[in-house]
Amino acid sequence: MSASRSRAVWALAAKDLRLLSRNRATLFFALGWPILMALFFGYVFGGGGEKGRIPVVVVDEDGTSEAARLVSRLQAESGLQISSATREEATRLVRQGKRSAAVIVPRGYGEASTRLFHGAPARLELEVDPARTAEGSMIAGILTGAAMQSMQDLFTDPARTRAMVDRSLGDLAAGPPGKRGDETRTFLGQLRTFVDGSPGTDPATGSSGGGTGWKPLEIERREVRNEKVGPSSAFDFTFPQGILWGVIGSALGFALSLVTERTRGTLLRLETSPLSRLDVLLGKALACFLAIAAVEALLLGLGAAFFGIRPTSWAMLAAAAIAVATCFVGIMMAIAVLGKTEQAAGGLGWAIMMPLAMFGGGMIPLFVMPSWMQTVSNVSPVKWGILALEGATWRGFSAAEMALPLGVLVLVGLAGLGLGVRLFRGGEG
Amino acid sequence: MLTLRDLRKRFGGRVAVDGLSLEVHRGEILGLLGPNGAGKSTTIHMAVGLLDPDEGTVDVDGQGSPRNPEVRRLLGVAPQSLALYDALTPEENLRFFGRVQGLSGRGLAERVEWALSFAALSDRRRDRSGELSGGMKRRLNLAAALVHDPALLLLDEPTVGVDPQSRNAILDRVVELRSADRAVVYTTHYMEEAARICDRIAIVDAGRVLALGTLAELLSRHGGDPTLVVFRDGAEQRIVTRDPAGELSRILAAGRVDDFRVERADLEAVFLHLTGRRLRDP
Repeated sequence: MSASRSRAVWALAAKDLRLLSRNRATLFFALGWPILMALFFGYVFGGGGEKGRIPVVVVDEDGTSEAARLVSRLQAESGLQISSATREEATRLVRQGKRSAAVIVPRGYGEASTRLFHGAPARLELEVDPARTAEGSMIAGILTGAAMQSMQDLFTDPARTRAMVDRSLGDLAAGPPGKRGDETRTFLGQLRTFVDGSPGTDPATGSSGGGTGWKPLEIERREVRNEKVGPSSAFDFTFPQGILWGVIGSALGFALSLVTERTRGTLLRLETSPLSRLDVLLGKALACFLAIAAVEALLLGLGAAFFGIRPTSWAMLAAAAIAVATCFVGIMMAIAVLGKTEQAAGGLGWAIMMPLAMFGGGMIPLFVMPSWMQTVSNVSPVKWGILALEGATWRGFSAAEMALPLGVLVLVGLAGLGLGVRLFRGGEG
Repeated sequence: MLTLRDLRKRFGGRVAVDGLSLEVHRGEILGLLGPNGAGKSTTIHMAVGLLDPDEGTVDVDGQGSPRNPEVRRLLGVAPQSLALYDALTPEENLRFFGRVQGLSGRGLAERVEWALSFAALSDRRRDRSGELSGGMKRRLNLAAALVHDPALLLLDEPTVGVDPQSRNAILDRVVELRSADRAVVYTTHYMEEAARICDRIAIVDAGRVLALGTLAELLSRHGGDPTLVVFRDGAEQRIVTRDPAGELSRILAAGRVDDFRVERADLEAVFLHLTGRRLRDP
């Protein structure tokens, strides 16, 4: 394609996107309606109760007051939704995707957390799904913060501080001599004197071996791969549904706009320019593709930012989004050539798309459909679109598993484009 | 500039254009005058390359068929419908149509300014086109056909549905185009417009050119003799004569006349003479 033709095709697409941005009805069906669908059904299916909170299971094997304090702090974190379980149960919950992570407080945590500046650090275990790296890092940060908060609490309670200092001095006295141990002993002695000066003091003593490179907390992180087949929240399936509704709204909007070009005479004007009929269709297809891609990006971004939608692979998610856009650009083209008037194209479009959306999982999630309905849904491109988007998010499809939905979507798109190009009536039609 | 030779076009069993031949030259406005369904729009569609003729040829400026995209650069078309985007401003409409014609940069900006000025819409450039009056939209529709400075203009009923003032403005602008050495094909079913601005007029019916010539030629060939209408003693007398002045002198020599007038043939009479029907639908 020559540079001037390319410029003209881009001009066509830019014009259509500008017209779309000024058409409130089409904008609503492309953006507003799908967001409403995703949120409404997300909350209806119970996905809204813990919006934005990371579900974490805590295992307290220590049973000390220090461990209990840590759990309380985690429960007070607004970004976390905390539950408790045994170690085995916690690992199973993470593996099944019902919790993002498990925090295990092993035996000895309470004792270690009361040692100051010496000895082995307090230790926590963190089990995280490797697909949830960001959430794992966030939880580790919260745990470190909670440990530091414990230290701060020690210094604001003179009785606890004194007991901790006495115990540490006792540990140091019982340990081997060393320069570092002497320095720590001196520091702790001075700290003890400081605490004794505080109101309501009750002196005591103790000692152990000197420590080097001491740190307050050590987090042992382990990967627990999510093996579940099921969404972690209702938003995992209502957002793909919403995206498909937005895609349908965009595609039908563009189908109508192509018919309007014919009935208004602008198509005739375009066809008497140096552009070919194919160029005109390419411009319309490009605009439709970009609009659909924008709808997908916006809804996925919204889902990721606020509703816990997590892609297992960005590359596969991009492939799914492109395949969905290709498919519905083709469907747009086919509907545009089958409808002679705006009313006919609009009626025909919704008459075709509504049952395809209903049977394709646009309203009832695919995984709760009875088996006969799942079989019927195979004829619907909506089903393959939802499957592709879910495959790249909570279903965690492999590349081989993604091949089928992507292939179906692209084939349907190409068939629609072929039909559109073949049957397209020009401005004189 | 435009040569149509023996064009024929059939849609199913209906013959839309039946052996139509025409030539339009630079600096000339050729009117296609005929009733609805006469084949004018089909002829225009073949002339701009939207339709292939079943028979015959179309040649634009000696460069061949308008099916060739490069040849279409020479054409400007103002369809009968208001072929504009209501949600875009006049400036955006003109800029867009300029771009698809291959204009860009400063050249595009200059032509858009010219077209806005031509359509007298410079002060409404940023309003939505859908909010303009009917006459303004018609002028914008014409300007969009001119934004890329075409040598040949095909205007399909460009004054349909506008008030007399806007119609005059549009006709004045079409006449300006002739002065700029452009060739214009002007289809209409308003005989007054054809009589006012067209250098030559082709009377079209049933897909054929029934008569072609200047207004004077058409009237003299097909309009018949003038009618002298004389009023005396409360009675009206109608006399068809080639010499109304001589006839009136003879009547005055014979007695008193209260009043008189001369009725000359118009295009309506020409059309009636050629087809046996009136130009406008009853």
